[in-house]
Amino acid sequence: MSRSSEHLRELMTQSLPAWRLTGEVCGADDGAVLVSCDNHEIRIAPAPPGVPFRWTVTIDGRRRTAISLIAVLRQVRTALDPGYAAMRVRVATVPLVPS
Amino acid sequence: MIEALVLTGFLGSGKTTLLGHLLRQPGFSRTAVIINEFGEIGLDHELIEASEDSVIALQTGCLCCKIRNDLATTLYDLLRRRDDGRIAAFDRVVIETSGLADPAPILQTLMTDASIAGRIVLGGVVTTVDAVNGADTLDREEISVKQVAVADRLILTKTDLAGPVQPALVRRLGALNATAPVVTAQRGEVDPQSLFGGRLYDPLAKSLDVQAWLGAEAHAHAHDHHHGIDTFAVLRREPVRAVALTLFLEAIAEHCGADLLRLKGIVDILESPGQPAVIHGVQHVFHPPSWLPGWPSDDRRSRIVFITRGIPRGWVEALLDAIASEVADVSAGENM
Repeated sequence: MSRSSEHLRELMTQSLPAWRLTGEVCGADDGAVLVSCDNHEIRIAPAPPGVPFRWTVTIDGRRRTAISLIAVLRQVRTALDPGYAAMRVRVATVPLVPS
Repeated sequence: MIEALVLTGFLGSGKTTLLGHLLRQPGFSRTAVIINEFGEIGLDHELIEASEDSVIALQTGCLCCKIRNDLATTLYDLLRRRDDGRIAAFDRVVIETSGLADPAPILQTLMTDASIAGRIVLGGVVTTVDAVNGADTLDREEISVKQVAVADRLILTKTDLAGPVQPALVRRLGALNATAPVVTAQRGEVDPQSLFGGRLYDPLAKSLDVQAWLGAEAHAHAHDHHHGIDTFAVLRREPVRAVALTLFLEAIAEHCGADLLRLKGIVDILESPGQPAVIHGVQHVFHPPSWLPGWPSDDRRSRIVFITRGIPRGWVEALLDAIASEVADVSAGENM
C-alpha cells in the first residue's frame, strides 16, 4: 500500500465518525481502500499510471474518477451522508507565497 | 486611576485585528495588554506588535471561569511592576477576552475586586461584531448576545468583506443594546477616539438583561457555555507546502461549515522559509493568508488552533496528513 493510500485509509477511518456515521474501513491487497457504511460499498483505488486523475472511486458498482483526495472525500461523503451540503470556499486569491 | 478597557466579541469577530490597529496609534503607546485565549495554545499575543513586557497572555482557559481569579491577580501584579519601575508606566489596560467569554463576570471582577479597587477603573466595553457572520452568530450563540448587550461601543468588523452594512443586523444590535453606538471598521481600522470616550462603565445604563446577568454573577456563575465546543491545536514541525495548506483550508471549510467556530494559525510554508503565514478563519469565511517578516518567537512549528463544535481532532490531523502526502507525491512526480 502506497503512502498516499495509507493516508487515505486513515482519513476514511477518521471521516466516518466525524460525519457521525458508523461503518468499516479496510485495505485491499491491491492498495485500494474499502468502505462499508449503511448498505453502501465503496472502493477507492489509486489510478493507473498515465491517466489524468489520481483515484477511481466505485460506489455501489458505479465507477467515477477523482483528481485528488479532496475530490474523493467529497464523493464519498455525498454518497454516505444525505444531510451533507458542501460549503464551497475559495481560500487564496492572492499569491500562495509572499510577493 | 488607570482605565481598564474590555475588548470582547465572539470568536473570529476581529478583536485581535482591532487591538493591533489601536496599539499602533500614538494615543495608545502607554497601554498594557492582557490577552485571554480559549485554546490549547495561545497565538494572539504573538500577533500583537507591542512591548513584550506590557503584553500578558492568559492562556488555555476562559477568563470568565476557570482563570477568572487570574485576571485580578494579573492586574495587581501589573500595578506592582509598574510601581516598581520594572515595566514602563502605562495609563491604560486593554483586556482582550476570549471569544467565548461571558463578559459579565469579567466586568464584575473589574468593578468589585478588592485587590485592584482604587487603582483600576473599568473605562469601557467594546464588542466586535462580524458583519459577515454576526447575525447567524447571534442566532446560535447566547454568549454573543451577552457580549453585544454589555458593550459601550459596538464595532462592526469585516465590512470590507460583507459589502454594505446589513440594516437588519444594525437593527438587531440596536434592539440588544440601544445605548451603544455602532462603529464600522475595515480591516480593524477605526478612529480610537470613537471607541473609548472616557466614560466610566455604568451598568445602570444597560438593558435590564445585562443588569440581570451582572446581578446573577454575584451569586453564581454557570459553566454551561462551553458545552459542545472543543478546542485543539494541530502542530507540525515540517514545513507545509502552500498548495497543501490551501487545499486543507478549503476542505475544512467545505466539510465543517458553521461547526468551525474559529481557526487561526501560524504556518511554516515550505516556499517561504523564515516568513510564516498567518491564517484566520471563522465558520466558512477565510481571510487570505498574511505574512510575517519573521517568526515572532523561537517556536518555529506550524501551529493551527481550532475552536469547533464537534469536529474531531483525529479527522483534522488525518486530513492534513493526507493532503500533504498527496501534494508531495504530485510535486515529486512533476520533478521526475
